[in-house]
Amino acid sequence: MPSVQASLQRARRLARQRFTDPTRRRGLLVAFEGPDGSGKTTQRKLFKTWLKSEGYDVVTTKWNSSDLIKPIIKSRKAVRALSPEEFSLLHGADFRHRVEQVILPALWEGKLVIADRFLFTGLARDVARGLDLDWVLKLYQPLLWPDLVFYFAVSPVTSGKRVTATRLPTYYEAGQDITDVDDPVESYQRFIARVIREYESLALIFNFITVDAEQSIAEQHRQIRDLFIEGQRRPWSAWNVDAVAEWLALSGKRR
Amino acid sequence: MSAAAKPGRARLIAVDGVDAQAVLAAAKAALAASTSGAPAGARGGVSRWDASGIFQDLEVAEDDAGSPSPRTMLLLYAADLAFRLRWQVRPALAEGRTVVVAPYVETAIAYGRAAGLPANWLANLFRFAPRPSERHVVAARGTNAAAVKDGFVGFASAHVAGKGAHARQVLITATERHLRRGRPPQPRARGRRPLRRAPS
Repeated sequence: MPSVQASLQRARRLARQRFTDPTRRRGLLVAFEGPDGSGKTTQRKLFKTWLKSEGYDVVTTKWNSSDLIKPIIKSRKAVRALSPEEFSLLHGADFRHRVEQVILPALWEGKLVIADRFLFTGLARDVARGLDLDWVLKLYQPLLWPDLVFYFAVSPVTSGKRVTATRLPTYYEAGQDITDVDDPVESYQRFIARVIREYESLALIFNFITVDAEQSIAEQHRQIRDLFIEGQRRPWSAWNVDAVAEWLALSGKRR
Repeated sequence: MSAAAKPGRARLIAVDGVDAQAVLAAAKAALAASTSGAPAGARGGVSRWDASGIFQDLEVAEDDAGSPSPRTMLLLYAADLAFRLRWQVRPALAEGRTVVVAPYVETAIAYGRAAGLPANWLANLFRFAPRPSERHVVAARGTNAAAVKDGFVGFASAHVAGKGAHARQVLITATERHLRRGRPPQPRARGRRPLRRAPS
């Protein structure tokens, strides 16, 4: 459809202008990734407080939190009705909706977006469920690359201890849909070992900044601040142009 | 398995089109033609979109949740199709019954192309769907909203294109055109990795 293509071309030009304009503070996207129990949420909250004190306008987005798709996923998880493909596709839909409704609008306005889990969570969990990485990665196209990805590395044992200290893991969190293990704690231990293995591969492929999440909370926070100060000066990734252009064409933004 | 079932005759028939009523009529006709003479217990059935109830749930979402984009709609369609394959199609085929899937993959791909999405993204999205043994594309009796309102294309166009009747009509007409034109030749499946492996 020529008009669709022409509109995308215009949007690409507009995206480049906006995100490479040296006269304005561009939006920044920072992702916090890691297995459950790695302390991401604690660090995300500390980081956000610090950023606000530094004058940043901060927006937070969490995994599986879109107002539109979350209820659909929640009701199906409750009755344990999801196959790995359905689980993957619905989380992909939730992510896409948040990219379009929350993340890109905030970046466009020059805000700093902290993502408590990003698409790498989908990749690690889906591949741990036996799905093909290439298929899953393409579901998330057009890809939106964060300016920084902090990966909170913990061992499966630490993750298991922290998660099960106060509660039992849920059915899908424990991977019981694929392990066939009745005991959620035992199932979690097996499943999280697979998830961590996938995360470690992704950390290498996508050049995550690894934070040793076995350190003290204060030490991790200091490290994140230093790495952020260093990393925020990175130029905008031109790989993001397709994601921004598609959103612009859809939203009808002109400038 | 039913005693009357004949596994060798199980067939997956795809019927695609934007006009939901015409698609359903064609699906019933295809099923009848394919299973004529078969015992009642081995005739199979028709798998229709939204068997999972995903779009029904979407319909009741609050307005301020935001409209889904074509990509989001297609991810949801794929999730619904995965559900239909798991609960309706594969069990029936395993019992030797014929299943008419109406609509199947081509309707969604044509809708995606009409919305300007890349062909390779669409092809990857539906990689999990088996090839049908027979395909039918049903021409719309008219691409007005009334003719398509019960189908995926009508639903998705109404939600994605917002309230503008003209924008909705443009999307529906373009979907119909892409369906008539057919999909560009796909690369051969040889060497393609399976979607799911046993987790190690």
